[in-house]
Order: sequence, then C-alpha cells, then structure tokens
Amino acid sequence: MAVQAFAPGMYPRSEALVQATRDLDRGRTTEADVDAQVAADVQKLIGVQQAAGLDLLTDGMLRWQDHFRPLLQAADGLETGALTRYLDTNTFYRAPKATGTPSLSGPLDERFSAAVPGPRVATLPSPYALARGTDVSPTAMAENVLKPALAGVDAELVVLVEPFLAHDGGSPNELREPVEALSNGAALALWFPFSDAGPLLEQGAAELPVEGLGIDFYATHLDSVPEGLDKLLLAGVVDTRSSVVEDPAEVAAFAGKLAERGVERIALVPNGDLQYVSDAVAREKLARLGQARAAA
Amino acid sequence: MKLLTHEIGSLAKPPWLVKTSQGKELDESDIDHARKWGDKVGVEGHEELVESLERGSADPDDVALWSSRYCVRMQEAAGLDVIWDGEQRRSEMYAWAIAHANGFEPRGTVRSFDNKYYSKSAAVGPVSLAEPYHNAEFESLQPLAKARLKIPITGAYTLAVWSYDEHHIPKSGRLGAGYGRKQEVEARRELTLDIARNLIRPNLEALIELGATWIQIDEPGASTEEDELDIFVESFNVSVEGLDCLFSTHLCFSDYDLFFPAIEGMSGCRQYCVGFANYDTRELGRSAAERPGYEVISKFRDLPYAPVLGLGVLDIHTDFVESPDLVRDRILYAVDVFGDPARIDVCPDCGLRTRSWEVAYDKLQAMVEGTRLAEAELGA
Repeated sequence: MAVQAFAPGMYPRSEALVQATRDLDRGRTTEADVDAQVAADVQKLIGVQQAAGLDLLTDGMLRWQDHFRPLLQAADGLETGALTRYLDTNTFYRAPKATGTPSLSGPLDERFSAAVPGPRVATLPSPYALARGTDVSPTAMAENVLKPALAGVDAELVVLVEPFLAHDGGSPNELREPVEALSNGAALALWFPFSDAGPLLEQGAAELPVEGLGIDFYATHLDSVPEGLDKLLLAGVVDTRSSVVEDPAEVAAFAGKLAERGVERIALVPNGDLQYVSDAVAREKLARLGQARAAA
Repeated sequence: MKLLTHEIGSLAKPPWLVKTSQGKELDESDIDHARKWGDKVGVEGHEELVESLERGSADPDDVALWSSRYCVRMQEAAGLDVIWDGEQRRSEMYAWAIAHANGFEPRGTVRSFDNKYYSKSAAVGPVSLAEPYHNAEFESLQPLAKARLKIPITGAYTLAVWSYDEHHIPKSGRLGAGYGRKQEVEARRELTLDIARNLIRPNLEALIELGATWIQIDEPGASTEEDELDIFVESFNVSVEGLDCLFSTHLCFSDYDLFFPAIEGMSGCRQYCVGFANYDTRELGRSAAERPGYEVISKFRDLPYAPVLGLGVLDIHTDFVESPDLVRDRILYAVDVFGDPARIDVCPDCGLRTRSWEVAYDKLQAMVEGTRLAEAELGA
C-alpha cells in the first residue's frame, strides 16, 4: 500500500490577509500591501505543508475568489453571474454565465499560481461544474477554456473539482467526453467534495479516463469503493466542514481498511476545500493529515 | 394607496467608527465624512462628534452611538417609513448574537464571498442567553427615531447552520461509516431548537417587554439545506409562538422555490422580506417575461395565511443605482401578481452594509421615489 497526502483546493486566508483584503475593498490599503500579505501567506502555507510531510504542495489558491473567477475573467464569452451558495456551506460564488462562445486564449495569469518548492498539486473546476447553468456543453468548456488553462499548469497532478454532479443526480458518463478532451497533458483527478459518491461509483465513475478519483468519506460509505480500484484514490479523510480536528490514528486505520479492499494507491486529502475552516483550524488539520500519513 | 418602505438591516460602518474602534488615527477625509453626512441628513448636534473626532479623544462606544444616529437620520432622510440603525453597534449579525450566548466558542474567520468574511463559532455545549443583546439598541433608538422601528434579529436556524457543531455531532467514528444525512439532520434539529428556545425567545421577550412592536427574524441561511426546511419553520414557531408582536422574516440569495410547501406551516410570520433584484434584469417592464427575478412571488401570494411580501427591489451586491422607473416596474409587477397592494411592502434585497453610504443612500432614495411613482399609478 502506497500512501501519500496532500491538500488540493482553496486554503483559508490568514487573519492578516482577511484584514488586508477588507482594507483594499474599502480603499484603506494598496494592491502592493495585499500582494505582500499573499506572498507571506503562501510561504507560511508551504512551511505548514512541508512540516506535515505532504507529498505534493499547493499555493492554496489564495488569490482565487472562487473556483471559477479567474477563468470567467480571462475567457471571452464568459462572465460572472448571480451570487450563488456553494452547496450547503455559507460561502458563495459567482456562477458562470455564458455571453457568447467561450474561449480562453492562453494560460491564466501567473498571479493565480504562485511558485512552490517541490512537486505540485493544482486545482481547476471540472468541465461539468464550469458548464453548469450555462448553455455551453461540458465538452466545449473543456476544449475551449480548460484545455488552454491546463496548458499553463506545471503540476504532478491536476485535480478537477466537481461539486455538483453527485448532487444533481448526474451520471459519470457526462464527464467522459469532456475529460477525454483534457487528456494527453498533466495527470488528472476528479474530486467530488461534500458528496456521497456511491451512486457515481455504482454507475462506473472508476472507469473514467483520469488518474485519480477524490471521494468524501464523511459522506460516502467505505463499501461504495470498488474492490481492487486501480486508480489513485484521493481519500477525503479530513472534514473541512467541521472544526473538530481529526484523530491521526483513526485516519490511518481507515487507510488500512481501504487497502483491505484492494486499493493500492491512496492519497489522504481533505473532503473539500480547506477554506471552510479558518486558517488556524486548517493548519492543525494539515498537521494531523501528515501524522496520519506517517502512521498509515 | 400607500406602500410601506423599509430597510432590511445592516449599513456600512463609517470610516470614523471603524478607525476609532480599531484605535487608529483618523485623517481629514474621515472627519469630513462625519461633517458632510451630519449636514446632509440632519443629525442634530453632530458638530459635537466632529469636534471630538478632531481632538482625537472620542470614545469608541460614543462614536458607535453617533453612527447609529447618523444611520437613523440617513434612512429617514431617504424617506423610509420603517427603519433601524444599520446595526452600527453590533459587531456583525452572527457574531453579535453568539457573543451574547453561552455554549459557543470562536473558531476563526471564514469566507462568505470574495473579500467578505464572517467569524464562525462552534457549539460546544447547551445554549443559553448570557444577556439580552438588543435592549440597549432599542432603548436608545426609541426616543430618537421619527419613523417606525423594526428590530432585525438573527434567527435560530441561521445561527445553527452558520456554526460548527461540536456538541451534537460525534467527534469520531464517522469516517467511511455512512454516517447518514438522517443523523446530521437530527443533530441540527437539536442545536437549532436549543437556540430557539433558550437564546432567541428570551431575547424576543425582553424586547417586547420594552415596547417592541415589529421584530424581523433574519434567516439568510434558511434554505441552506433543502431537507432541513422543517427545522427552520419549527424554530421560527418555537421562537415566536404566543408572543404579542408583529413578526416578519428576511430571506435572501436562495432558490426560493425550496421554501414551498414547508413555510405553509409558518403562520406566525406576517411578512416575508425577500431579495429578488439580484436575479432580475435591469430593463424596464411589468410583464412576467420582463421580471424574471420575481417569478416565484406567486407562491408567497398563495400562502394560506396571506402574509405581506417585503419585495426586494435593490440589488445590494452592486453599486448600480436602480432608477425609480425600474423600482416602480418591479413593484407594479408584484402588485399585479398579488392583486392587492396592501400585501406588498418595498425594501432592498438585503442589508446594504457592503455598499458605501453614498451608494446606499442613492439606492434608498431611488427606492422611495420609485415607490411613490408606483403609488401614483395605483391611485390613478
């Protein structure tokens, strides 16, 4: 059993960055001051990940206002729509809105991807999530928006976050063609945060053309995992909707249960973005994640 | 035909309040702000505030009281019929309530959206009221306000769903165990009803004892979980049942279809103040096709206990100032759907705290002016 640990998705801003961005909105500070605080936050986050012994590093997406915003701002034919609740959290995002044929002319601005000193995990929205609520097909979003963005990502693994498919009662088949359109580049994983992935797995999600699958095990039963799963299983074992920090021994024992089901490659990850807890809680959760990896 | 206009709750805190509270030095523009708005909306004796700000000796609590007076006069100057003080003396709608409750511990800051955040706490034990937490506001506003007062108070379900729950949800044993939705819902029910009975209701009773006649129970989190709407309804009923006061609720930024039929059982609610403008177009027009943001309002019309609809006509997430004509058309469309103007009040989608005072004031003035235009047509 090979066990890794890392943390895809959006990381919470520190109290100092919270204040800096608030001040920026109110004209009380400058972009340069916020940039400096973002850089400080990124360095601190890298240190926390390194101290925890995580295998892939993230910059925490600290400049991203939500999972879609930089894409919506950079692409032609897309703009921000209504402020919309993100699943059952009290955090909101601007829903994608299509105003024409979407197209992204190249990679996202480098401001949206800070350098990290080691192998990297990056995160982008899944084609289905980006297309949801627009009249654009997920495949068109993949080919015309996500593929150009992906071309600029230098990462060991790119996690495509898909929060909606399971909640919509959709089928993994809706992801097959769009994900195929993104292949031939970085290794991809599909991540189903805050969702019972059981129905998707029953319908063949394990056969999708991706390297890894991310499953929230606070919402999904262990028995839903196919015996002998031959993909990298991003096991969502850190509950980012809870302020309670995980017991590393319990998490390590759970990794053992996954191995007993014949899962050979396991990555211990959060079950969603860590931004749903505060910076202080997230730091402790990452430390526990590292301890669980070491104990597994 | 008179249509009642009111604010929903929060307004931005002025720079002279924020900086004073943070112990920061004020600059000339902050003092100009206090001087200009004091003149503009007619705050009696505001020169006293300006002088204390200039001296650098202002007490933060006194400054908050001044800010409260400014917001009262700003809303009255804009022409609103029913007002509050923009929640100037509260830290924030969630944090203020939690700070006056027993049974919670802070867990840090979490993003709401973009560069907006809120403090989030965890329920760690049985909930109770530490002290009534709106009495001081109400007592200071009673002699001051010329318009009618409506007290906004954060509701039990929103407090519960915006909190972590370390008291009712098991701390271990959930991983991969199929810890079901049923258990999660039951945990939420226990926490929510605990808050309704032991925090909200005694706070309401204290306000009514002081003479409150209209209390708005804010529930922006009400539709967070589709399968918990019965908990929201039950908690509202538990909070207000048998109390002698006009109770309304405020809902915003939700798929409002979700509330039906659950709120058919919320008969103690005499008014729903609901945000719609955020979903609407900015084009003029009074047909259903031209008012897509208001598609759901017929469901509020058909509730068996015939509540008033507080119609949200201002998008609070943008500096775009709605024209009076646009406000008028939104109102007239709603009146047409309801068939009874007495069941329509006019308000913003939500509190205007994310807008500057300049924008908030312009929007509120446009809302009042648009309401007058609608009244003129209805009276014709």
